[in-house]
Amino acid sequence: MNSSNSNNGESNNGKSSSFDSLNQDLGLYFLELARLGSSKAPTDMEEDEEEAPKELNTINSSGGFLVVAPDKLSVKYPTINLHGHDVGVIQADKPVPVKRLLYYFEIYVKNAGAKGQIAIGFTNEGFKMRRQPGWEVNSCGYHGDDGFLYHGQGKGDAFGPTYTAGDTVGGGINYASQEFFFTKNGALVGTVSGEKEMKSRLFPTIAVHSQNEEVHVNFGQKKFAFDLKEYEAQERLKQQMTIEKIALPPNISYGLVRSYLLHYGYEDTLKSFDLASKSTIPPIYIAQENGFDEQDIVYALNQRKILRQLIRNGKIDAAISKLRDWYPQLVQDDKSATCFLLHCQKFIELVRVGALEEAVKYGRIELAKFFELTNFEYLVQDCVALLAYVRPQESSVGYLLEESQRDLVADTVNAMILSTNPNMKDMQGCLQSYLERLLRQLTACCLERRSANGDQGEAFHLHRVLNSGGNLKC
Amino acid sequence: MSLFWIAIRQLAEIEEQMATSKKVITREEWEKRLNDIKIRKEDMNKLVMNFLVTEGYVEAAEKFRIESGAEPDIDLATITDRMAVKRAVQCGNVEDAIEKVNDLNPEILDTNPQLFFHLQQQRLIELIRNGKVEEALEFAQEELAPRGEENQSFLEELERTVSLLAFEDVSNCPVGELLDISQRLKTANEVNAAILTSQSHEKDPKLPSLLKMLIWAQNQLDEKAAYPRINDLSNATLEDPAV
Repeated sequence: MNSSNSNNGESNNGKSSSFDSLNQDLGLYFLELARLGSSKAPTDMEEDEEEAPKELNTINSSGGFLVVAPDKLSVKYPTINLHGHDVGVIQADKPVPVKRLLYYFEIYVKNAGAKGQIAIGFTNEGFKMRRQPGWEVNSCGYHGDDGFLYHGQGKGDAFGPTYTAGDTVGGGINYASQEFFFTKNGALVGTVSGEKEMKSRLFPTIAVHSQNEEVHVNFGQKKFAFDLKEYEAQERLKQQMTIEKIALPPNISYGLVRSYLLHYGYEDTLKSFDLASKSTIPPIYIAQENGFDEQDIVYALNQRKILRQLIRNGKIDAAISKLRDWYPQLVQDDKSATCFLLHCQKFIELVRVGALEEAVKYGRIELAKFFELTNFEYLVQDCVALLAYVRPQESSVGYLLEESQRDLVADTVNAMILSTNPNMKDMQGCLQSYLERLLRQLTACCLERRSANGDQGEAFHLHRVLNSGGNLKC
Repeated sequence: MSLFWIAIRQLAEIEEQMATSKKVITREEWEKRLNDIKIRKEDMNKLVMNFLVTEGYVEAAEKFRIESGAEPDIDLATITDRMAVKRAVQCGNVEDAIEKVNDLNPEILDTNPQLFFHLQQQRLIELIRNGKVEEALEFAQEELAPRGEENQSFLEELERTVSLLAFEDVSNCPVGELLDISQRLKTANEVNAAILTSQSHEKDPKLPSLLKMLIWAQNQLDEKAAYPRINDLSNATLEDPAV
């Protein structure tokens, strides 16, 4: 087996970016996967990092036209208004967070003052702070005096009921439907398209415009009058229902599960699966796309199963011995990623049973030579670090002791065996099952779609979908 | 002269592209993105296990647990019982199925009048299929008619089913589909779903939904970008972006 370890320093991050070259060491793919599985990998909890509005922004508000309370959560209009350019407008301290399905906030009208000219809505950065939200472009506002919705010009549209003292009014953004929505006293008033406005960075905005008006704002520090969670669930359901209507080719799931089992060498499961499918009603017929595909993956099924079993049970020596018998070319080059992963795993198994002296001896013989090589360095360091702890499983390198690490080594061996199939055209077939490719495509499409929408909306995480109990979101 | 027209055509194409302003993502760029995505093996195993368990492949689920380490999210013992009910309906043994469901959990039929009606309707269909006309009529009058009185749509269904008796050649009559095996399968799926729900488990496997989501996501993205698509889900091959 040709190994290209001499290119270690030059390859981009050690990741094989193209699967075409038959000479590439496939093992490097799994080595990189192992690194991603370690605790040093970045997590994907970006949604928690986005800051949300907490209070009103007193720096860029309308200055003398309104008075903000010290807690920065309520405003009053103290004077008599004279014209359309002395509105008391104030935005929140942070822009609306975008990496989620919905954003929402509420106001409580304490005092409707002389004319009840209160507004709630969203405005962009640099908004003219003497105008009602909605009266200028890139802004939108639901006004209490006429119940109209204004978005982008001085003339508004009839939208909902007026509101006054004692009312709780809410304004929100729905990124999935690209709409603004407003509520009054816990009930939805309506929605309006906001595609144009949402292209700018928007701030939650409130405004007062006649003497003695007083408004309190709630950015989520108190319970909302509107059941936001319920609304969110309904919106998710709507999207889910649109998706569920899509038709799938017959038996596609069945076929993908079957090829997954074949790909990874889960022979016993496959046998049970095939047996059961014969007696389902109606019986499932899988069209042989090209017998070619099937044969490739049935290749060495039993051997791959046996090796996976050995590795998952920690019997690394036995696994290496069998590999020497069956596929000597795979373990010939001791510096290949495959051999490296096997040696590391043996080391890990020795640590697991507490045979630390033996582990050290083994490490000196088999692992030391990898210290200088770029791709392998991190794993050697992590393995050796295991020795430093009384309870290594609780340490930052504890991930090495988990079953997933054994499984990764088993997957590597599995891929290497598949690569010895003379009929195997491209290497991707050895590395990824069809199911995996589809899941990657799904994730990539969702990410690109969100990016095309200015990064608005939720990201797709397979892990969350699988653990969320059914609420699929995209 | 022909060069002139080639140039005109190219300009027109560029203008069209600019007008639709679709971003073009090359295959190389897209493949790089695909590789940057992290998919955990355990998550894929979970997805497969969820499929095996929801669809009722008990032995396969058991073997998969041993071979992969994935844990099923339902007690495997309950699957066998559920599958027995489903199979009974699929084979037309509705009385047997009803008995089994009540053994499993008597509340299921109690809290699910529509399901119970559909099971009784299936019983009627089987009686008619086997030519037991008198028995069928008696059953319809005693068991189903009272339900029909409580509920308009039940009554309509009942009338449809009974009308099977009016035809000599049932394969050609307007309600002939009731005798089709697909009707049994529909009822079987309904009872399967009800059992899963009563066990606080989702009634559908997640995998088909994810596949639908893929189709939907690609269709949505088509509006904004030209990129390599997967058109054949069964072999997951990327097709170069149409430019």
